Amino acid sequence: MKYKYIALVATGLIVLAGLLNVIFGKGLKLGVDFGEGTLIRVMFKSPISVGDIRSELSRVALGNSVIQESGKNGREFQIRTMEVISTKEGPEMESHEKQANDVIVALRGDDGRAEQAAGLRDLNGIDRRTLAALFETQFSGQGEGLSQKIIDHRTTIGIYSDFAELSDSGIGPEVVSFLKEKTYLGKLTVLSRETVGPQVGKDLRKRATQAIIWSLIGMLVYIAVRFKLANGVSAIFTLTQDVLITLSIFSFTNREINLPIIAGLLTIVGFSINDTIVIFDRIRENQKNLRKMALEEVMNLSLNQMLGRTIITSGTVFLTVMALFLFGGKVINDFAFTMLVGTIEGVYSTIYLSCPVVLFWQKLFKPGKGGRR
Amino acid sequence: MKKGLQWKLILTLAVTALSIYLFVPPKDKIKLGLDLKGGIHLVLQVMTEDAVTIETDTEIARLQEQLKKKNITFKAMIKGNVGNFTIQGLGVDQEAGLKSVLDESFQEWDYSFLGETISLRMKDQAVRYLKEQAVNQALETIRNRVDTFGVSEPMIQRQGMAGDRIVVELPGVEDPNRVKDIIKTTAILEWKLVRAGPAPDEATLLASVGGIVPEDAQVVKGDPKREAGFYLVDRVAIVSGKDLRPVRRSQDEWNSPAVSFSLHPDGGRRFEKATGENIGKQIAIVLDNRVISAPRVETVIPAATGGVIHGRFTIEEAEDLVTVLNAGSLPAGIRYLEERTIGPSLGADSVRQGLLSFIVAIVAVMTFMIVYYRLSGLNAIAALILNVIILFGALGYFRAALTLPGIAGIILSVGMAVDANVLIFERIKEEKALGKGILSSIATGFSRAFSAIFDSNLTTIISAIFLFQFGTGPIKGYATTLIVGLVANLFTAVFVSRLIFDLTVPKTAKKLSI
Repeated sequence: MKYKYIALVATGLIVLAGLLNVIFGKGLKLGVDFGEGTLIRVMFKSPISVGDIRSELSRVALGNSVIQESGKNGREFQIRTMEVISTKEGPEMESHEKQANDVIVALRGDDGRAEQAAGLRDLNGIDRRTLAALFETQFSGQGEGLSQKIIDHRTTIGIYSDFAELSDSGIGPEVVSFLKEKTYLGKLTVLSRETVGPQVGKDLRKRATQAIIWSLIGMLVYIAVRFKLANGVSAIFTLTQDVLITLSIFSFTNREINLPIIAGLLTIVGFSINDTIVIFDRIRENQKNLRKMALEEVMNLSLNQMLGRTIITSGTVFLTVMALFLFGGKVINDFAFTMLVGTIEGVYSTIYLSCPVVLFWQKLFKPGKGGRR
Repeated sequence: MKKGLQWKLILTLAVTALSIYLFVPPKDKIKLGLDLKGGIHLVLQVMTEDAVTIETDTEIARLQEQLKKKNITFKAMIKGNVGNFTIQGLGVDQEAGLKSVLDESFQEWDYSFLGETISLRMKDQAVRYLKEQAVNQALETIRNRVDTFGVSEPMIQRQGMAGDRIVVELPGVEDPNRVKDIIKTTAILEWKLVRAGPAPDEATLLASVGGIVPEDAQVVKGDPKREAGFYLVDRVAIVSGKDLRPVRRSQDEWNSPAVSFSLHPDGGRRFEKATGENIGKQIAIVLDNRVISAPRVETVIPAATGGVIHGRFTIEEAEDLVTVLNAGSLPAGIRYLEERTIGPSLGADSVRQGLLSFIVAIVAVMTFMIVYYRLSGLNAIAALILNVIILFGALGYFRAALTLPGIAGIILSVGMAVDANVLIFERIKEEKALGKGILSSIATGFSRAFSAIFDSNLTTIISAIFLFQFGTGPIKGYATTLIVGLVANLFTAVFVSRLIFDLTVPKTAKKLSI
């Protein structure tokens, strides 16, 4: 409790720095869910550099796209095309779609053109049915089964970079040599592609904001009823700053805000409110037993009593999130990063912020009592 | 064993068994969201105003016919904004005649006289009805088309304030572009008599008719994949998709893929008449305002015969055309507002890595609990496992899809379950340190920790309920697992964990492994 002023100042500084960065610096990046545009994830047959991709894209005037490597071996990337300003809503969605197509066409380049002219099919792009039909021409009656094996294995590894990998899918050498004759390996595969038009982007933004505001109000009311209004206000204050600090750190690390990140932020809020309530609960209990002690001292005592628990709990959560961050894969990585930041920050805010705010609030509205009761 | 304990044990075992029953085998009973399974998520908007415009066209034609019958003259009918048109240059002294026609058979329209000009406006109620119909019909048509893919559990729903949006979710579809094309095709197929063409550009085409498009004709472009150039064709079709019996894929005389059709009696008769009168001329087959082929009429085609549509199709294209023609045409255009396609390998990757990290996390937490709380840690682990079992059981029961944000919800609830146990155990330790006996330490530990567990879980549940209410897709998924997980938590951490202590700690215990 003696560090309360330092804590308040430190929080203020980080949030202020974040705000300044958001307003004057790089700003918060809205992902496709809330902004608009297209997010494409691609996987290449062989490693390639971000620079190479950018130069391919500049040929179709999309060199300003955000390109990030998402895998570990230089073969997976995510590409986010930047927004186009247009007055009508309809054509805008179409222009996003066109851009997405342009990106894929540009990345493919001349790859496969000669092969396709010779009647070969792209084994990295072919669908189950077509492949089965192709097999039927040679291995009558086995088409379905063979196609299944090959596509399933492709689903597991993402892309075939060499015909030799085909034998891992459990097919015989005669099938492999048949495929070598009839197909080729395209240089990339599109893992996912998400386009959000301006209307839906606006909608999602609105709904997410609404959801968050209402859930904050819900918590405020419940805590105010179960404890005191001051506790409710403090809880909301604490978790607002949890979110602000995490967002600040986001703005410094260049990550995009998407729907899963919102889920991450909400999770942080969940843990933080949990921590805060556990402390408040102890204070409530101690106040009953130690009526003569000043509120500030009761708070100090309660915080110290709960310190062990706070550290153990946060430690286990930290372990969980660390596992997600390290092993969770590319889609979940941003989410895990949010959680990692939030967990550390949540402990700090619970210990150093939640109680002082209650004190300040009570001082503000009960001038005569000086924070005692 | 005390009687109360027996019942508690039976209840716990029953809940466990029921939950396991509800989600085993998980492959069939736990639905994965699109982000984990791969598939297509589309939000489309039905351009409902199209339906109003089409209706206006039909009504104008109907009015013209009726006025002709009653010998009421006018100079022109001109379409204005959506659902509006005007009659201009009405003949002298024909107001009364027009009024009676309008009152009698055009009750869906409001009209007002302004000298020689009469403006007509479709009534709001009629507009609403048309729009509603358009969305319903679009929903039905899309459903029919999607059914041909054989997707398991497709989701096709209306959404949005105006109710003109449709959400389509197709899990596990591999070829997104084909699906998108099939859904978006308006699929209005018409046979129209060709007056001139094909010509390389519009100017050349119109040279033969004096440079202006005649009122009862229109210019149609060839589908770039099939027929080059421009055609001048009759505005009114001889027959259209509505006259078709179900079509099927076949082959034309050169063995290339084609679609064969036959016509209902009425359309068949019109087709017979038109082919008879126009031997040697071309008839354009127009799909969504693009000519796909324009065969020359060699001989009369009798009503019952039907024919073949060919247009340099690949096998897939011919099959897709069969699909859309048999599913019916869309009453209005469709625009995509949002589209997400997740390839199967990305989803599989997320599931694999999500599972791996989940296992690593659980094992790490369990190891910690055993090391720190020893035998009591086992108790916490049992409660934790039961919590996850109940959670999956509920997911299986509600048929709720597990998504990535849903996994986040599970993590939060697992975290709070661990926390509940930590709170209780720390409290028991405190009570023990105060010199209380083992059994009374356990009892006070549970009762004192209860209010903190209850309040923190309930606060989070409250916030999750709001998130569920107001959130969209992923946020909803998060809220669902969270609510279920926390409710399960109140049961396992408080009730089951206590039960395990009661069952395992003897009354005479002097020491507790905690």
